[in-house]
Amino acid sequence: MEDVQVVAMLVRRCIAGDAAAWEEIVQTYNRRIYNICYRFAGTSDDAQDLTQEVFIKMYRTLSSYDASKGAFVTWVTTITRNLLVDHFRKTKQDRMTDSMDSTASDHEDAQPLSEQIPDQSAPPDTRVRQRELSQTVHQALGKLSPELREAVILRDLQDMDYKEIATALRVPEGTVKSRINRGRAELGRLLQRTYRQVM
Amino acid sequence: MPDRIKNDHTSNGIGCNEFDLLLSDALDGVLSGPGLDRFQAHARTCKTCGPLLEEAEAGRTWLKGLTEVEPPASLVSNILASTTGVDTQRLRTMTRTPQPHISWWEHVQASYLEPMWAIVRQPRFAMSFGMAFFALSVSLTVAGVKPRDVLQISLRPSAIKRTYYNTQARVVRYVDNVRPVLEVQAALRGIKRNMNPAEPGPSKQQKERKNDTTQQPEQKQDRNYSQTGEKLILAGDPLGPSNRDLPVVSVTTYRRFV
Repeated sequence: MEDVQVVAMLVRRCIAGDAAAWEEIVQTYNRRIYNICYRFAGTSDDAQDLTQEVFIKMYRTLSSYDASKGAFVTWVTTITRNLLVDHFRKTKQDRMTDSMDSTASDHEDAQPLSEQIPDQSAPPDTRVRQRELSQTVHQALGKLSPELREAVILRDLQDMDYKEIATALRVPEGTVKSRINRGRAELGRLLQRTYRQVM
Repeated sequence: MPDRIKNDHTSNGIGCNEFDLLLSDALDGVLSGPGLDRFQAHARTCKTCGPLLEEAEAGRTWLKGLTEVEPPASLVSNILASTTGVDTQRLRTMTRTPQPHISWWEHVQASYLEPMWAIVRQPRFAMSFGMAFFALSVSLTVAGVKPRDVLQISLRPSAIKRTYYNTQARVVRYVDNVRPVLEVQAALRGIKRNMNPAEPGPSKQQKERKNDTTQQPEQKQDRNYSQTGEKLILAGDPLGPSNRDLPVVSVTTYRRFV
């Protein structure tokens, strides 16, 4: 995924005050971090704020990165995950009133989940249907508990291996696998139920 | 899920707990051979693990169908601005184009003159300068100064020296001419002072009037009578009738003391 030496060199240059190196890091990882934040937080605005916070934290703690302890991407993911957990705790009260019919996304069309079910009998356009499907899955993902959600995001959306996920989440590998299984199953159950209601 | 683990049972040589551990490997496609056979056999016979496999597979398929979202275009520049405080475009320019050698004059121009000029170009400053210029031109016109005269001023040292001496001589002449007039004015002022003693302050008069409980009419009404007193006093004036034209006000004031 990343050339360890190249990344280590970039980090060294950043610590030495090379602004261009820092820009390269931002350019390389912003998409990945934004996607993790977006899938976890659910909205584009929150994802932008969280991504910026992640990079600010990275910028401040870059000197603490030890290449011998793990890959840079794992370190970045750990920072992201910690900030996401903090964010989740802070916004826990706001989500108490959430329901399946709440409008959680402002990135896409703000429609309740039950209204975002694609009309399979007469699809107006394949792209639109695909987009609606993605929205439905994205909303269903937001209904998972944070532990399961972060595990499936890192595994199925970020393609991280179990060991890296275990390092980032600071839990044993077996727990990671268990959470991924439960997360996938819960998501499958949720979406199947939603589709059955429509059918 | 915890209930499922609690009711763990073994079928086809594999338990529900083991099935759970192998589930992710099976979905990732890394499970093969007899292990896979046992896993599939357990899924077929176990009423809990069978649906679990089905749901997990469906969930994984849904998740794999999600595509990456595109971050906003401004995200990188916002991150750089919030971390290094440097704008992306400027940073790119700084890092990728070599810095040209600039002279001291260009440096001064870029550092001091251009920022000042940028301030001056602001509408409010332009308006202020316009008003100042207008006021100056009006003042010069009223004073009779013409720009042509200013242009004709010679700045040679000898010319400046001559102008200086001419101006000094003009000042001296003016003072000499005005001296007799000033002396006459001073003499008249001295005579006037000798004739009229110091007047009491107006506040004192006001106070006296306030404390007056005699119900007598105000002295203002007696002003006409004071003319008589004036004549009597001035009659004894050794300077003669020339000083009889002194202001009436001073005489009135004098009468009040009497």
